[in-house]
Amino acid sequence: MSVGTTQSRQGLGSRLAALARIVELGPGKVDPKLLTESGQLLLRAGDRLKLSSDHTVVALAGGTGSGKSTLFNSISGLELSPTGVRRPTTARTHACVWGLDGAGPLLDWLQIQWRHRFARASALDRGESRLHGLILLDLPDHDSIRALTDSEADRLIQVADLVVWVLDPQKYADASTHRRYVTDLAGHEAVTVFVLNQSDRLDEEELAECVADLEDLLHREGVEHPVVVTTSAITGAGVDDLKEVLAETVSRRRAATQRLEADLDRLTLRLAKVMPADGTSAPPSSIDDARRIGLTDALCDAAGVPAVGEAMENVYAARSGEWVGWPYTRWAAKLRPDPLNSLRLGDLRDEIRSLTGGSVSAQPAEVDTAVHALADGLTSGMHEAWQSGIRDAARSRSAQLPQVLSEELSEVAPRLDRVPGWWRLLLVWQYLLVLLFVGGLAWVGTALVYGVFGTGKPPAGLEVFGDAASLPWVGLMMLSVLGLGLLTAMASRNFIVLGSGNERDALEREMRRRVAGLAESMVIEPVERELTRYNEFNSAMRSLRG
Amino acid sequence: MNRSQEKQEERDEVVVLLADDGEIGDASRERHREEPEDEAESDAGTPDTGGAEDGGEAGERALPGDGVQRDAGPAEIDEQAPQEGETGEEAQGDGEAGAEVLDGAGDVDENDGNEKAGGEEDAGSPGDRMRETPLPDAVSEALSSALTAVRAGVTDLGFGLDIPGAEEARRVRSEILAQLDDYVIPRVHTSTAPALVVVAGSTGAGKSTLLNTLANAKVSATGVRRPTTGTPVLACHPDDHEWFAEGDLLGSLRRLSEPDPEAASDGLVLVSTERLPPGVALLDTPDIDSVVEEHHEIAHRMLDAADLWIFVTTAARYADAPAWRLLRLAKERGAKLAIVLSRVPAKSREVITKHFVRMLTEYGLGEVDRFVINEGKVTDGMLPDHEVSELRLWLTELSVDERRREQAVRATLDGVLNSFRTRVPALAKQLEIQVAFRRDLRADVESAYAQALVEVDKSTGDGSLLRGEVLARWQDFAGSGDLMRTLQLRKPGRLAGKASHQAPERLSALRSALRTGLESVVVSAAQRAAEEAASRWSNRPGAQEVLAAAAELGQASDDLPRRAGRTIAAWQEHITELIRTEGVTKRSVARVISFDVESLSLILTIGLLGYGASEARNGTGALPQRLVHALLGAESLRNIGVKARSDLRARIGMLFDDETARYIQALDGAGIPDESAATRLYQATYNLEVAR
Repeated sequence: MSVGTTQSRQGLGSRLAALARIVELGPGKVDPKLLTESGQLLLRAGDRLKLSSDHTVVALAGGTGSGKSTLFNSISGLELSPTGVRRPTTARTHACVWGLDGAGPLLDWLQIQWRHRFARASALDRGESRLHGLILLDLPDHDSIRALTDSEADRLIQVADLVVWVLDPQKYADASTHRRYVTDLAGHEAVTVFVLNQSDRLDEEELAECVADLEDLLHREGVEHPVVVTTSAITGAGVDDLKEVLAETVSRRRAATQRLEADLDRLTLRLAKVMPADGTSAPPSSIDDARRIGLTDALCDAAGVPAVGEAMENVYAARSGEWVGWPYTRWAAKLRPDPLNSLRLGDLRDEIRSLTGGSVSAQPAEVDTAVHALADGLTSGMHEAWQSGIRDAARSRSAQLPQVLSEELSEVAPRLDRVPGWWRLLLVWQYLLVLLFVGGLAWVGTALVYGVFGTGKPPAGLEVFGDAASLPWVGLMMLSVLGLGLLTAMASRNFIVLGSGNERDALEREMRRRVAGLAESMVIEPVERELTRYNEFNSAMRSLRG
Repeated sequence: MNRSQEKQEERDEVVVLLADDGEIGDASRERHREEPEDEAESDAGTPDTGGAEDGGEAGERALPGDGVQRDAGPAEIDEQAPQEGETGEEAQGDGEAGAEVLDGAGDVDENDGNEKAGGEEDAGSPGDRMRETPLPDAVSEALSSALTAVRAGVTDLGFGLDIPGAEEARRVRSEILAQLDDYVIPRVHTSTAPALVVVAGSTGAGKSTLLNTLANAKVSATGVRRPTTGTPVLACHPDDHEWFAEGDLLGSLRRLSEPDPEAASDGLVLVSTERLPPGVALLDTPDIDSVVEEHHEIAHRMLDAADLWIFVTTAARYADAPAWRLLRLAKERGAKLAIVLSRVPAKSREVITKHFVRMLTEYGLGEVDRFVINEGKVTDGMLPDHEVSELRLWLTELSVDERRREQAVRATLDGVLNSFRTRVPALAKQLEIQVAFRRDLRADVESAYAQALVEVDKSTGDGSLLRGEVLARWQDFAGSGDLMRTLQLRKPGRLAGKASHQAPERLSALRSALRTGLESVVVSAAQRAAEEAASRWSNRPGAQEVLAAAAELGQASDDLPRRAGRTIAAWQEHITELIRTEGVTKRSVARVISFDVESLSLILTIGLLGYGASEARNGTGALPQRLVHALLGAESLRNIGVKARSDLRARIGMLFDDETARYIQALDGAGIPDESAATRLYQATYNLEVAR
């Protein structure tokens, strides 16, 4: 075995491994028929490579009456296969082996019946040592009415290392040969030989025309460099040329791998047709940051994260008024008539209040749209099957996603009706100030009664309150108390607005973080797994191409 | 090769002897057949012993008459090489003698007898007095109008969906059309026209050579290139030339005077020669089995127009599958057929002939006229004339015996019309299948979108829409006091109806959140429906092509979000309008309270979308309902609610209708007529039967 053969076997091995990977990753993505064929090719290749590499299986194929059996006999030099004028003649495959050692399992694999196996004994081999290792098969025809119910010829044409198409001047352009086999075998030049048999029926000029026409026809069918040999099994002309071609093939010991390579090439072409390569820029197995952010944004929108923040800020500001606001304005507002009351819907106010205690939740339809948009953006230019594969992967958990999102976000979302402790303190402070103001009022009253109008002596111990001279000071104090209340209300209000702004930012950040985490585990990971499969498939396709 | 003139005159029938005189010789020789050369084919079934041979012969003898089935198929027949040497010459000599003693030969040779029987049946069975006149005008008229109806019916058909059988139906449709145009309609109009004999067969079988020999001129090209003949060549007697040049028969083909490769598919070379008898025209066709597929098509088209078929095959090809397909076709059509086995090597003539006859008999074609032509030197595209003398006689017979010709023509025409009995209804049946399939496909789409509509209905009614942004905006709107500000007490001195316009940000944020939410529900339902419809289609064999033709069908259409947004916005406008026009404020309320219509419409929408539906109903309903109820009264609320809801459904329904229209369009693009075409076709077939 030459070095070249070893190398080509290795190359073949890695391509077969790639094919195995494709068969593994393919279900659901590639036409099942093609996958089955790939599996069959894998099996066949495995079998053939295990069996004797010293033998080359050469099949004589052709239509009925083209002279396969006669040619078989004249190559082997013995009347092994029956010939005749009745059509079709041969119904079972005959095999002749040059050099029997190790050929048995191969013949078993080819399913050649025992009684149709012949071996050229060594005595006969003299002068034919170059054909040593040849297993010559005489196939039944493939085009007669008998062949309609018998696939033996088909089967062996698929597995032979080298196929010799035996054609004759009458049948060389038959559709049954060309459409069913030759067109399929484009790319198999190295392991296909065309024999124009019965050349004795034509004169030289006609033969040349015939060969030219045949070559032209083969060209048109995609056989670039057809090997065409003209023979006459009857007169023996050209048989030696054919033997020479066979001997060359046999001695190189490469036909088996070449055949498998050619089969692989063809399968690769078909696979590539249904699964075209996506150019040089294979999508990365991971999803880039822009897309992650896009998905997170979309999911945040679906959960209403920005709106939640805004609502929190607004509701806080509105509600804080009830606690830290200047009590006087509140009381003044209460004095105004309430439209709800006039509708006898006073209890609605409580309901509105309780409404703000609702939790955050995600909108399923928007979640779905967000996930779909991610998958769509990723898959542009991909094959249909993979597009839907990635879409399915993205959606694999999207049924639970809204629910999980809602639960996760509810954990961080603040209750909008909560009341911080310092609001209460400030309320107490405001009431204290109101108390002071009321006290001041009382002082003023006392001073007025006793000090200004002098309606009597103030009770003992309250003289200081009856002193009219304290009036300006008391007035000043009352103004200050009012002012202090107003100032406190304004300051704490500003403080709340500022604080809730900060809190909103923090809240949004936290929510985003959680949404991003969920997006990662529930959407991006499955998608990345599928993308990895996709890339593996693509690289398998590339190494299959060799 | 000869015939018995005396016999024919006596019995007024034609006996064509296909087995030549060689057969007589063969028959005698078979009784002491030589040992087969080859023993290797030991599994072939019949060991070549003398006894078995006798048995085989006995079977053969019994075979033609009573149609005994032979269990040995052609493939298993063991090899029996002919005796080499001078047998052919012997046979020739015997044959010359045998010509004179034909009756005797008929007695000894079972094949020969069989042929005679066949001949009798062909010619004699319809009785002694045949109608020679063409069809009466009335019948012909009725027939041709019935045919025209069939033609119109078939023309109307289309099989756009690639379900199993569609390809076949398309082929049959164009076949029937071509057959009607090229043959049936012209033939019914002029049943006395010359008979058209079409020579068909494998490539390299020698069709052109045969024609040349019969015409005694090189009218059709011959050669070693396969396939040789691309343009059909029609050879006829000069008297008939005009008829074929101008007639309707094969009217769709251009008449040429010499082969023109440009016009291969629609040309017909027309030549006339004195050597052919008048009233019989020979048509050389392209092959039926070469790599050039157009040839098969042309050949079949010619065969469809034939009055008689001459099927040519060779010693190397007689077992080929395409040849037998053609024979089966001829049998199905009931076409008048003659078989020529050509290129037979003289030395193995009888073996091959016997084998071929046996195969034909098994196929039920044992009684067909047969001719055997030896392989001979072809000079200038012609065989030696004596090889075809029998065939020439057969043709001459056809030419002279007008009744027989008429009968052959009628038989083929009847065969074709009979075939319409099944082929045309089969087409109609196929059309019905297509129509039913289209209906199924439509139903797939419609149910997917109906499902989507139900989903939308559900999620717009159970409050599930009030999540995410909508909910937050609603909380914002209600919690920040804007909800309360919707209502205003009328103050004395202020103008009635001048509701205060509040800060619009939160209001419009809520409004657009609602729109976005609804829009996404609609779009996502439509998207799912599109995927569902596409996947249902792709699970149906035959619909994939339609799907592939319009790749975007698996997705909602691109502008759907935009249209959905517009639709929802319009719906919101509509609600506002409803409140403005139909929302008659309770008089007791109207005196004291005014409200902002925009805000109220949003509150109403929230209520419509099922706000609080999930919470326990405590009789009073949820906040929005109660508010609207208090403002507008129960009846208004109900009216507006029902109207708004059905309006939303109608609008979304219209959106989805636009979506489904894409599928319908794709289906219509496939081009299938409606069911009435099938009915018309059945009717036309029935009328045709009546007219006959």
